[in-house]
Amino acid sequence: MSVASESPVHSSSSDDLAAYLEAELDAGSDSSAESSEDNAEAANLGSKRRKLEHVESGEEDEIQGVASVTYSEEISKASSSKGACEHPGSFGNMCFVCGQKLEETGVSFRYIHKEIRLNQDEISRLRDSDMTFLQRKRKLYLVLDLDHTLLNSTILKDLKPEEEYLKSHTHSLQDVSGGSLFMLEFMHMMTKLRPFVHSFLKEASEMFVMYIYTMGDRPYARQMAKLLDPKGEYFGDRIISRDDGTVRHQKSLDVVLGQESAVLILDDTENAWPNHRDNLIVIERYHFFASSCRQFEHDYQSLSELKSDESEPDGALATVLKVLKQAHKLFFENVDEDISNRDVRPMLKQVRKEILKGCKVVFSRVFPTMAQPEDHPLWKMAEELGATCATEVDASVTHVVAVEMGTKKARWAVREKKFVVHRGWIDAAHYLWKRQPEENFGLEQLKKQGTEK
Amino acid sequence: MFFHIVLERNMQLHPRFFGRNLRENLVSKLMKDVEGTCSGRHGFVVAITGIESVGKGLIRDGTGFVTFPVKYQCVVFRPFKGEILEAVVTLVNKMGFFAEAGPVQIFVSKHLIPDDMEFQAGDMPNYTTSDGSVKIQKECEVRLKIIGTRVDATEIFCVGTIKDDFLGVINDPAAA
Repeated sequence: MSVASESPVHSSSSDDLAAYLEAELDAGSDSSAESSEDNAEAANLGSKRRKLEHVESGEEDEIQGVASVTYSEEISKASSSKGACEHPGSFGNMCFVCGQKLEETGVSFRYIHKEIRLNQDEISRLRDSDMTFLQRKRKLYLVLDLDHTLLNSTILKDLKPEEEYLKSHTHSLQDVSGGSLFMLEFMHMMTKLRPFVHSFLKEASEMFVMYIYTMGDRPYARQMAKLLDPKGEYFGDRIISRDDGTVRHQKSLDVVLGQESAVLILDDTENAWPNHRDNLIVIERYHFFASSCRQFEHDYQSLSELKSDESEPDGALATVLKVLKQAHKLFFENVDEDISNRDVRPMLKQVRKEILKGCKVVFSRVFPTMAQPEDHPLWKMAEELGATCATEVDASVTHVVAVEMGTKKARWAVREKKFVVHRGWIDAAHYLWKRQPEENFGLEQLKKQGTEK
Repeated sequence: MFFHIVLERNMQLHPRFFGRNLRENLVSKLMKDVEGTCSGRHGFVVAITGIESVGKGLIRDGTGFVTFPVKYQCVVFRPFKGEILEAVVTLVNKMGFFAEAGPVQIFVSKHLIPDDMEFQAGDMPNYTTSDGSVKIQKECEVRLKIIGTRVDATEIFCVGTIKDDFLGVINDPAAA
């Protein structure tokens, strides 16, 4: 390299080097008023400071391509002592830019490497730089929960006698593609993947950069990722487990390297995400094993006992995939405009508003008389789903939500041939992201369930 | 950097190993115990090359175990700040890349990758120059400079840079 041969750093005489640095220093200090101030200060501080500036000018050389191998160590010392390095993060408690030893600071990204930590500025920088990438690839982020969302696991000894038949139906672990029921004897577990999960991941991977975020421990998370994604094409190293989170018993997007305005979350537990409710799509829990039903105190029979399963084309994952597609489409509508300020959260709300669009709902004896009906969670939920709520009946009302047939509004609805449903109709629409057939939520069903219990 | 040095260690040996083969047993136990471990001072013990001396054994009360002070020659590996190392890339992401040189784990931050190399996401994430001529991805061999080291009991961590002359990819098995 020609520059290297011209470089005085490589010259054998140390006098030459000193002269060169002196010249460089003078040239540098003339260039701005600020550095001449520095110079005055340097004179006061004496020779030590001067030495530092020599080294600084050495660093400029390096940028110009006149490499200095012998002085590099001093350069890095100099750059850290003058406070130029902001220590954007650390690896093994060493700043990964200047190499200086640091105290433990910033957010740990243990799922990438156990020793890596980043500070907030660096995280925002990484997130910002990602927006351009997103724009190019037309992708958003999707954070997926494992248990009860994509799959259901049970400990082997919790299997009921009625479920023993499953043991002979398991799929080989050697080739997991296509299988859905797995026995993981070394973990004493059995895992059932939710129907439609393979197609779901395949289609979602075209629209999203996907993360796994589970409350399970790391070995479990890795093993489940292997079942869902044997080739490692969907998740890569983006597998976050309980051990990697920053807050106990909570999930948070702070370890996800994506702008919050571009992240969607799919989880069955709303409470796990206290700070990111607007990003969250709550999915109906998938209970395949009996032990899983017991855990949530459901007393009906599990899918495994009934030897049945969720429907593949109409199951919860298929519905959610439609929601994801709609949100993705809204986000990338008119991409010619600048999309860096777009936010997926209001778009998710917009998709939700389609569910009960055109319905006008009147509530009868659902709310306590003293309370403001507008403040009730059910009222709000109905409005989030796109329904119009009213307190009095009129011709435009389509649904009456009641608790018994005897009320004035309910009788009016029967006379006017309007739907009379119980509140489950709204809850179901909320969790299933779909308007439910009203006949399944009539008040007779409510009464029947009551007498059965 | 590699060093050939003499180290000492007190070996505890079970009485069942006493007899003609005592020395062989001692040496094979030493190899098992020491090779592949780290010490902050000397770095990673790569291999034992010879036994300098075996001192007098001391019988322990109660257990019958005997402690022998053993001096042995070994090859150790310790990275230094400013050293140039060749390493294999193990993981590439938007923060930078991770590489391994034997037992040493090295992280090279995006800040210390030349500015003309840009991160490309995908199923094979990589850093590529704008003309596409140089690509850093998993399994690549890179030459890098160490800017910081930390040696733990079993692991060595380094931070490195490739933002300097003559550093970067030296061999890409995927491209070959």
